[in-house]
Amino acid sequence: MLVLGIETSCDETSAALVADGRTVLSNIIANQLELHRKYGGVVPEIAARRHTELIGYVINEALDAGGRTLRDVEAVAVTAKQGLVGSLLVGVAAAKTLSYMLRVPLIGVHHIEGHIFAGMLSNPELPLPHVCLTVSGGHTLLVHVRDYCKYELLGGTVDDAAGEAFDKIAKFFDLGFPGGPVIDRLATQGNRKAFHFPRPLLKAEANYFSFSGLKTAVINAFKSELASGETLPLADIAASFQEAVVDVLVTKAMRAAKQCGVSAISVTGGVSANRRLREVFSATCKREDASVYFPALSLCTDNAAMIAAAGQARLALGQADDMSLDVIPNVPLEVQHAG
Amino acid sequence: MLVLGIDTSGYANAIGLVDGERVLADFAFATRNESLARITLNVDNVLRENGLGLEDIGGFGVGLGPGSWTGIRIGVTVGKMLAYGTGKPIKGIATLEALAYEARDVQKLVCPIIGAGAGGAVYAAFYRFQNGEIHHEGDYYVGDIPGLADLITEPVVLVATKVAEYRDAICQRLKSDTIETMEKALSGAVVARLAAAHLEDGRHDDTLALAPLYLKESTARAFVNRYRKQVQATQQG
Ligand SMILES: [Zn+2]
Repeated sequence: MLVLGIETSCDETSAALVADGRTVLSNIIANQLELHRKYGGVVPEIAARRHTELIGYVINEALDAGGRTLRDVEAVAVTAKQGLVGSLLVGVAAAKTLSYMLRVPLIGVHHIEGHIFAGMLSNPELPLPHVCLTVSGGHTLLVHVRDYCKYELLGGTVDDAAGEAFDKIAKFFDLGFPGGPVIDRLATQGNRKAFHFPRPLLKAEANYFSFSGLKTAVINAFKSELASGETLPLADIAASFQEAVVDVLVTKAMRAAKQCGVSAISVTGGVSANRRLREVFSATCKREDASVYFPALSLCTDNAAMIAAAGQARLALGQADDMSLDVIPNVPLEVQHAG
Repeated sequence: MLVLGIDTSGYANAIGLVDGERVLADFAFATRNESLARITLNVDNVLRENGLGLEDIGGFGVGLGPGSWTGIRIGVTVGKMLAYGTGKPIKGIATLEALAYEARDVQKLVCPIIGAGAGGAVYAAFYRFQNGEIHHEGDYYVGDIPGLADLITEPVVLVATKVAEYRDAICQRLKSDTIETMEKALSGAVVARLAAAHLEDGRHDDTLALAPLYLKESTARAFVNRYRKQVQATQQG
C-alpha cells in the first residue's frame, strides 16, 4: 500500500511517500530555519504562512521524487494532533482535500506517534515492546511502546524540552539557531568535565525531566567566568552543558526501560542526532546488556515519512478518520489503547 | 465553464457554483471555527446537490483575503489542492473585490469593508464600475475607521456585513448623514463568477504558487521591519 504522508506541525513543511509502512520512496523536507533564525525561535504566524506557500510544491516534489503520481496514492496520513495550530491546519487542509478527491482513507496522526514510528521505520529489527525517548526542541517524552499504536506514557519534561534548552543556551551565547547542532559541534572542542552542571531530577525515581534550572546554572557559570576576566571557555561550557543533558536523558531512559522490563530503547526526535548522546547511549547499553536504536538522520527531525508509517499502522488496525477531521493542537499521545 | 468558488476568509464556508454567468449554487455555512472540519464536506454537498462530481468542474476560484489569516490559509490550501489534483486551472480573487462586485450596478464609488480583527481595524478598498468593468482605485487600506473616512471625498456606497456600524462611524467623522450602504457577506458564487471571467479568458494563477493576500504583516515581521527602519533612521540622522 502506498501512503502519502504530510507533516506541518511546526516549522518543517514535509511530504513523503512510504510503501507498505516500510519503504521510504521519498521524504521531502523544506525547513524554514532561515526565516526563523533572526528571531532565535519559531514564529507561529510566519511558519503558517510559509507552510501555505510551500505545501503544494513539497507534495508535488514527494510524488516526483518517489516516481509516482497522485493516482497511485492509496491513503493519506497527516499530523493532526500536537503542534502549532496554524501550522497543523495547512497540512490537514491539504490532506483532507487530497483524500476527498482521490477517495482514499484519511488518517490523522499524533505527532509523537510519528516520532515513535521514525525509530521503527529506520530499524526494522527494533523489537516490540520497547521504550521510546523522543527528544527535540518541542518534546522530551518517555513512552512505553507496548505494541503497534499501543502506548503507555511514562513521563515528560515539567518545563523546557531538551532541545529547547540547547536553543536557549545557544541564543544566550549568540551561537545561532537551532542550538542543537551548533552546541554539538562546539562541544567537540571543549572539556566536558570543566564544569559540573546540575543534573535536575536525576535521582528522582519518577520519569520526569526538568531543564530550566540547568539553563540558569549555565548562565550563572558564564557570569562568574566573565567576572574573573579571563577568556571565556565557551567550548568547555558547551561540552559540560551537553554532558549534563546527555547524562540525564540516558540515565532516565535506562531506568524507564528497566521499570518496564524491556531491554530495547529507541531514541527519536531532533536531539537524537546529537553525536555525544548517541555515543553515551551506545556505551551504556553495551555495559548494561540493553540495545539502543536511532533513526537515520533524515528521520530524526520532523518529517512526513514517519507520519506515513504511523498512518499505515493505524489503518491496518482499522482506524481511519472521516472528512470532519480537525486539528487538535494540544493533546497527549493517546493512551486508551494501552493494555 | 463550470467553476467552483470557495471562500473561508470570514470563518465561514462560502461555496458557490456557476456555469459562466449562471449561478447554480450559492452556499454559506457559519462554521464557528469549524471551517476546516466542514470544508470538504460542504464542497461535496454542494456538488452532490447539483448532481455533479469534481471531475465535472472546469476550474476553481478561491478567496485570497484579506480576512481571517487562518481562514484564508484553509481556503487557499483547499483550492490549491483541488486544482492540483484535478489538473484544472485556479484563479485567486481578492475578497474586497468580490464584496465590491455586489454593487456593480452602482454609479458611485464603491467601498467594501472587512473587519481586521481586534481593535476596530478594517481592510478596505475603493472600486468603480464602468461599462461592466471593475477598476480598483488607489491602494488597499488597513487601519481604523476614522482614517478610512478621511479618504472619502466623494459620494460612496459602503459594502460590508454589519455595514450600519461602519456607516455611523464614518458619518460621524465626516459630519454627513448621506452615505449609502449595502449589507452583504462574501458570496462563494461571486468568487466563482469573477474567477470564471478570468479563466474563460485563459487567465489563471500558478496553482502551486498561489498564496493568500494578508495585507497586514505578521507581528514578528512587522516588529523587525520597524526595528530596521529605526536603525536606518539613526544611521542616517
Ligand atoms: Zn517533532
